[in-house]
Amino acid sequence: MAINHQKTTEMAKELFREERSLMRLDGWFLSKEIGMKYEHETEGMSKMRRTAYLLKKIAAELPISISDNAVFAGTQRDAFARSYALINPAFRVETFSGYCDPTAVFGDIEPNEDITQERLDTVKAHDKETDYIKELTKVYDAAENYTKEVAFFVEQVTGHVIPDMRHALKVGVNEMKREIEANMQKTDDAERIDAYKAMLDSLDAVIIFAARYREIALEKAVGDKAEQFNRLADALARVPAEGARNLFEAIQSFILMWQVMCLEQAPNPFAFSVGNADRIFEPYRAMDNLSREDAAALFKHLLVFYNVADRSWAISQNLIVGGKDTEGNDLTNLCSYALLDAYYDMNLPQPILSVKLHKNTPDKLYEELGRFFFTPGCLTPSLFNDDSVFEVLRNAGVAECDLADYSIAGCQEPLIMGKDNANTTNSWLNLGKILELTLSDGVSTITGDRILPATGDDAITILKNLRERFYANCQFIIKEMTKSANGASRALSNLPVPFLSTLMGGIQSGYDMRDPVHQGTPYNGSGCLIHGLSIVADSFIAVDTLLEERPEDAERLIKALANDFAGDDELHEYLLGCKKYGNNIAVVDDEAAEVASKVADMVAAEKNYLGNPFRPDFSSPSTHLTYGYWVGALPDGRKAREMMNYGVDPLFGDAHQGLGFRVLSSFKLPYIKMNGGFASHFGIDPNYFTGATYEEKGIEFKNKVMRQFFFNPLNDKLAPFYLYVNVTTPEMLRKVLANPKKYAPSGVYIMRIHGTFVNFLDLSPAIQQDIIKRLDLKSTTLEC
Amino acid sequence: MTIKYFQKGFNYSQDGPGNRLVYHLHGCNMKCPWCSNPEGMKADAAYPAFPITQVTVEDMLSEIISCKPMFFDGGGVTLTGGEVTLQADAVRELLKRLKDEGINTAIETNAMSPALPTLFPFLDHLIMDVKSADEDKLLSVAGGVLYPILKNLKAAVDAKLDILVHVPLINGFNADEDATDKLLQALLPFKDDIRIEFLAYHEYGKDKWKQCGLVYAMENANISTECYKKTVSKFKAAGFTAVRT
Repeated sequence: MAINHQKTTEMAKELFREERSLMRLDGWFLSKEIGMKYEHETEGMSKMRRTAYLLKKIAAELPISISDNAVFAGTQRDAFARSYALINPAFRVETFSGYCDPTAVFGDIEPNEDITQERLDTVKAHDKETDYIKELTKVYDAAENYTKEVAFFVEQVTGHVIPDMRHALKVGVNEMKREIEANMQKTDDAERIDAYKAMLDSLDAVIIFAARYREIALEKAVGDKAEQFNRLADALARVPAEGARNLFEAIQSFILMWQVMCLEQAPNPFAFSVGNADRIFEPYRAMDNLSREDAAALFKHLLVFYNVADRSWAISQNLIVGGKDTEGNDLTNLCSYALLDAYYDMNLPQPILSVKLHKNTPDKLYEELGRFFFTPGCLTPSLFNDDSVFEVLRNAGVAECDLADYSIAGCQEPLIMGKDNANTTNSWLNLGKILELTLSDGVSTITGDRILPATGDDAITILKNLRERFYANCQFIIKEMTKSANGASRALSNLPVPFLSTLMGGIQSGYDMRDPVHQGTPYNGSGCLIHGLSIVADSFIAVDTLLEERPEDAERLIKALANDFAGDDELHEYLLGCKKYGNNIAVVDDEAAEVASKVADMVAAEKNYLGNPFRPDFSSPSTHLTYGYWVGALPDGRKAREMMNYGVDPLFGDAHQGLGFRVLSSFKLPYIKMNGGFASHFGIDPNYFTGATYEEKGIEFKNKVMRQFFFNPLNDKLAPFYLYVNVTTPEMLRKVLANPKKYAPSGVYIMRIHGTFVNFLDLSPAIQQDIIKRLDLKSTTLEC
Repeated sequence: MTIKYFQKGFNYSQDGPGNRLVYHLHGCNMKCPWCSNPEGMKADAAYPAFPITQVTVEDMLSEIISCKPMFFDGGGVTLTGGEVTLQADAVRELLKRLKDEGINTAIETNAMSPALPTLFPFLDHLIMDVKSADEDKLLSVAGGVLYPILKNLKAAVDAKLDILVHVPLINGFNADEDATDKLLQALLPFKDDIRIEFLAYHEYGKDKWKQCGLVYAMENANISTECYKKTVSKFKAAGFTAVRT
């Protein structure tokens, strides 16, 4: 197939400009209205059948169009609202609510003459009466004592999985339907037969979309647009009904499948992720031996597809390249590099790029990554260590044949593509708050409310038994948390997902992916994001130090914490001067390792709604800020309402010996237990890298950063497996904010926050300042 | 016995082989106006922005031992400056203890001190500067004396050390034809026993001069790529092993 890569690239860039000019996202609402309109026709159907039936109606009636600049048809615009707080300038750290109200999204549409407040209210009122909302409300009401100041938080998890599209691309939807029918013949279980029927119906939705888009393409195929749209119409005549025969058809098929998958969960199925895109698409590129340049041009349109409206509201969609198989063979291919080319040239806020590395990753990949790290304002990939991830997943029970298929859902959670419903963000545990409550004998030092029962013990008793009591409180809170989390998952099962289930093992299992009784996917779990690791470890050491050096100040410490150190600067300074995690100091590093290990064990011992373990995930996607706002002063010297440490990192400012020392501390953590993932960030000063070219700097980055952190041959423990970096300085970012026209003339300056990248200029001020603060360059100094 | 240093950190392959923990020891016996670490030049001066750490040899050794997992690819410890030999007694003790621990050692020195050879038995790698073979210029611009430098180089060769000679290439100081010819002649007797690396002038330390309240006097000191390549070629043609770390 002939591709004019220059023209295709220009069109992709114009298409992105068009997308960024969209200020309204009404599609999700319209789809809900369509569903409501036809609901009466679904009486007597199971919830799964009803979902599929209505999905077809939505596919038939939702307004659709194709831009003159599009080479592919399809959009995920209609699945998202303008909701995601961190990219909303109105976001404030203090606005966190311990309640996740799924109907709040109706407030994200500005009523107008067409979509009136009355229409919005009608659908909202209808939603409020659904089993889903009613059950979820009960869960939140029951947990309010613990969630109001975020001792823990729970949520129902939409999106956040990696569908396996490979089979659909290869054989097409018609063949998938034949497979479903064949499996249906093999069972007499009425429940599974019903589920299979729902899956069959749901797959029709994508065929309906393809036909509608084809009609539009044919209408547009005139004059100088004839070739462009005839090609599109031809592809739509083939896919996704049948298997793709080249890269163009494969991408088209993929996009339409993705569109329906998102629409099925509208609004806001955040963090659906692509998986190893290079492995998915390489067979099709090879079919007509498309060049790297031509493949990159087509991929640019795929990347634009992931950006929704003016701020790219569909967030945390992860796409990964590179990696190895279980024999250790590198799996990088030409599509890996074509995708990197597309990313670099487009520099879009979505989808977020991840790269799998292993000890034998070819230098060529590091060379090609150099341009990402060392171009100011350019996106940077997050990095994964296959050598460690394989061990972590193997230890968690993942079959050998599935290891190479792990990918990242959302930010940093490793899941098996198409097989793992991990409910990754189901529960959120706040160790900082639990420590505060332990020290204050159960009373919040933020609000004065009693949250845990009182023991009545004096200060010295509390401090002398601090660890024991902290872990006991953790155990109690974790049990409450997992009970609520499972309630949220069960509430969500009222919204089955037959279409997605066909891409997640449902064709084999015959069950919906969200079925709360039968496991629809080969792997299942529930995530728990654990906050405040290093501040708790630092606090334990600070208390030990105080009890040893000045035990007479035990009472004074408890009072100072309650008063946020007001009037006791001397004690505050003393506590700040105690040993901190992140400086290669054994006593405090070992403490952090023990906290991580014990808490991970407690979390993993809890069972989810299907009886599978919760997965410990030491990450804090900006929640170190929002949850930190509800945590009182702690013995490490951190004041009330200040941010907690990010992921497994030291609190900013606490690690000051440089990168090697910080890395040595990090080696001591028990990564094998972090099968839900973890987060770590290095802010790195670009001036340490002196190579003359991007390629040379890429190799320098490998030697100075990645070799010591991921692939250090002298590290006898399991190495860390996740890292994201921002290679810049606070001065540079302040300049960008002060003069965006000069430093970011395109209006886009990409930075990373936790697992996702964002347009720095789109962020709320609180998040902008968090990024600047957490560059924490003293913790990453190198020699140069 | 204590050691004073003003900076430490890890580097890969640029201060000796592999990944290395590098300590910058305080105080120097030269006064190079292009120095990228001016905060460490004067032994009797301290600058608020650059605190000096003073530790016992024992404590420094403990810290280094705790960093062993970072010494991969043949890495270890490099002591640089300032000028290492100004604290020769403590440095010798430290290096001896490091060798007892099986840790790879290197120093980077201006090689002017007569104490330098006393460190040789405890060194795996010697990185030494020969900034110029023009005695007058070396003395007047950098405060260096050529004779002891070459004498120490001879001693290091005799001790069969792994030697890397660093030459900063600076316009107006040592980068013209005559200066490089003179340097080549001075080093020629050692060409089979050393590797040589030319370091193009840079201004990495410029901001630090200001932070120390000192005047950065270098002007028009950059050299062209052509000059760099020509110098390297000249030395290669004369049989030297020129490297770039």
